Amino acid sequence: MASHATETPLGGTILTPGFKLLLGLCATWVALVLVRLVWGLHGPAGQDPLLAISNQSDGYPWGIWKPLNVVTFTGIAAGAYAVGLLTYGFNRGEYHGLIRSAVLAGAIGYTLGGTSITVDLGRYWNLWVIFVPQWLNWNSVLLEIALCVLAYNLVLWIEVSPSILERLERSGSPAAAARARAILPRLRKAMPFVISLAIVLPTMHQSSLGGLFMVAVTKTHPFWHTGFLPFLFLVTCVTMGFGAVVALENLTALAWGKRIDQPLLARMSIVPAWLLAAALVVRVGDILWRFRDPAVLARYRLMGHQAFYGSFLLLELGLFAAAAALLFRRSVRENRGKLLGAAFLLILSGSVYRFDTYLVAYQPAAGWRYFPTPLEILFSVSLAAIGITVYVLFVKLFPILSGVEATDAHGTATGAQSAAGH
Amino acid sequence: MEITRRNLLKTAAVAGAVAAVADVAEAREGRRAAPDEVGMLYDSTLCVGCRACQTACKVANGLPPDARDASGGEYDAPLDLNATTKNIIKLATDGPASTYMKMQCMHCVDPACVSVCMAGALHKVAGGIVAYNPRTCVGCRYCQIGCPFNVPKFEWSKSLPVVEDPKIVKCELCRHRQEGPACCEVCPRGAVIYGKRTALLAEARRRIAAQPGKYFEDRAYGEVDGGGTSVLYLSPAGVSFQALGLPTLPREPLPQLSETVQHTTYKWGLAPIALYAAVTAVQLRNRKADGAAKEEE
Ligand code: SF4
Ligand code: SF4
Ligand code: SF4
Repeated sequence: MASHATETPLGGTILTPGFKLLLGLCATWVALVLVRLVWGLHGPAGQDPLLAISNQSDGYPWGIWKPLNVVTFTGIAAGAYAVGLLTYGFNRGEYHGLIRSAVLAGAIGYTLGGTSITVDLGRYWNLWVIFVPQWLNWNSVLLEIALCVLAYNLVLWIEVSPSILERLERSGSPAAAARARAILPRLRKAMPFVISLAIVLPTMHQSSLGGLFMVAVTKTHPFWHTGFLPFLFLVTCVTMGFGAVVALENLTALAWGKRIDQPLLARMSIVPAWLLAAALVVRVGDILWRFRDPAVLARYRLMGHQAFYGSFLLLELGLFAAAAALLFRRSVRENRGKLLGAAFLLILSGSVYRFDTYLVAYQPAAGWRYFPTPLEILFSVSLAAIGITVYVLFVKLFPILSGVEATDAHGTATGAQSAAGH
Repeated sequence: MEITRRNLLKTAAVAGAVAAVADVAEAREGRRAAPDEVGMLYDSTLCVGCRACQTACKVANGLPPDARDASGGEYDAPLDLNATTKNIIKLATDGPASTYMKMQCMHCVDPACVSVCMAGALHKVAGGIVAYNPRTCVGCRYCQIGCPFNVPKFEWSKSLPVVEDPKIVKCELCRHRQEGPACCEVCPRGAVIYGKRTALLAEARRRIAAQPGKYFEDRAYGEVDGGGTSVLYLSPAGVSFQALGLPTLPREPLPQLSETVQHTTYKWGLAPIALYAAVTAVQLRNRKADGAAKEEE
């Protein structure tokens, strides 16, 4: 099977109509980046503002790219973290089969998030300054995130690398195969030390993603501004991660007939239920507790738009509660379709919470408004398309799906694809 | 069921640890203004809205006019602080009362913009001035998020490195001028004056004491607000600071909460190192157990 996969001319197999559409979106993203690099974050001067690359402004210096491309993508990418925690942190080896796919999705998600941040930087050519220790300001939450996310990107790709090396091991070129055979055992030996980083780093930066807004005391709506921001961001990244793993398993099953271990997913999915329940308690308790403070109440009144903020809060709480309520039920967890629905709800609830904190809750001063431009949204969509493209490429080329059963899954996948290609 | 409640509690404990430490943390001390720190005092009751300071600021900083009339001429009419405007005079109304408002960087005693800036592009220099150094600025615009006064502005219309070199723009208290702030120099009414922060505070107190009830809340904004600012404001009794556009800030500096959490969590790097050690230990132990099991087979 493995040799069949190696010998299959990849061109015909890979270039399905769907994949061509994805490639088109990738090209779109590249074009948008070029426009941004040449003309800036607003695009060429004097054009219709509707055609601007982004609608970010001095009032809303962070538009949707941060909450979506970074905070939501890496939340979904935290599947690697969530399953890693279970597998390695709590020694639940049975989840091993989920790891490779989740780690790949993680590596891709984080790479895209990092790329998006970099493209969004007004002075990206200065990014090297974060490697000059004596200049660094360790008070900056953003610095912690930048360094941590960079390091984690590296760690994730190291975690992905065995799949690539295993493929090389069986490749036609004896030299490459020999080199892969030499590196692999050493890599396997070092892996626990790498994997521990893969647990520590996300714990740090995922909580910091929430910590970013703690400084904006008066500009973040009091429903969202709390010392628990780091905790809530950490919890939502884990719940989103679990949702993403379940969704990914189902999507790969749909696309390439991957077999799903439903009992395993069912067992695992009780974790996000408890986490969301804990988050709900913290969230509600924290708001009640803080609103006894007259200053917080005054800030709440001052920000106005009470129906607007209130409905977003209710939406969030509702989504949290709904996802948790569903996942607490064994009948839901054990049913493939229902669990998939609950998984999407997991991703949605975390995303909405994170989005709210970054955009809905943020109000710099009266008069400022922000809504993304079409191109700004297209930038995010096409960036996501790049992620899917790379994922599809990887699972077709390298042993990713279902770990040790990879040869099987791979064979099936290749067969299905070539059938579709004819 | 493989995942027991106890296991879950453990997970929650690990997850919560990071946030929980914040509660037992000793709060980070707020920074105090040194006696030699300088600033400005703006007395809104003296300002006549002539905008001489606005023009002088543009000249002193080599900034182009923000022309809005159809002729596109020299008439400078910015609506707010922006990439070509470090100083602006606006009309502030509060019910029937109105007054003028001068806005520029407040040169906070314990500035949020400095706290959030990754590599010290925004930093305090002699005299407590909050200065900007583009060489270490990455253009992340976190300072814009952090500043409670929305002061830092970004040159959105620029993009290319070197040629256009987009920067953050904000008042640096004319630190490039020997004579001090150009805006204070030209004010025909002495509505904005430059000096040591301590002297300015004393002057504000003197004015308040001379005519009790003349000024809003009988106090100068910036003495304690948000940990204190080096630009101080006096507003007429009928116009609230809020109406001037000055936010109601806690007495603690804004970076206090975030820095307390950050430093407690990462004190000596203990928490991350402990977590790292724990996860590694668990893995190595499991690996050993696996190996032993295999040998027995
Ligand atoms: S007013 Fe804003 S930009 Fe000026 S020192 Fe304070 S935080 Fe920084
Ligand atoms: S935009 Fe520049 S000055 Fe502002 S926080 Fe980022 S690096 Fe610092
Ligand atoms: S101190 Fe200088 S830069 Fe600041 S507002 Fe006055 S003139 Fe402008």
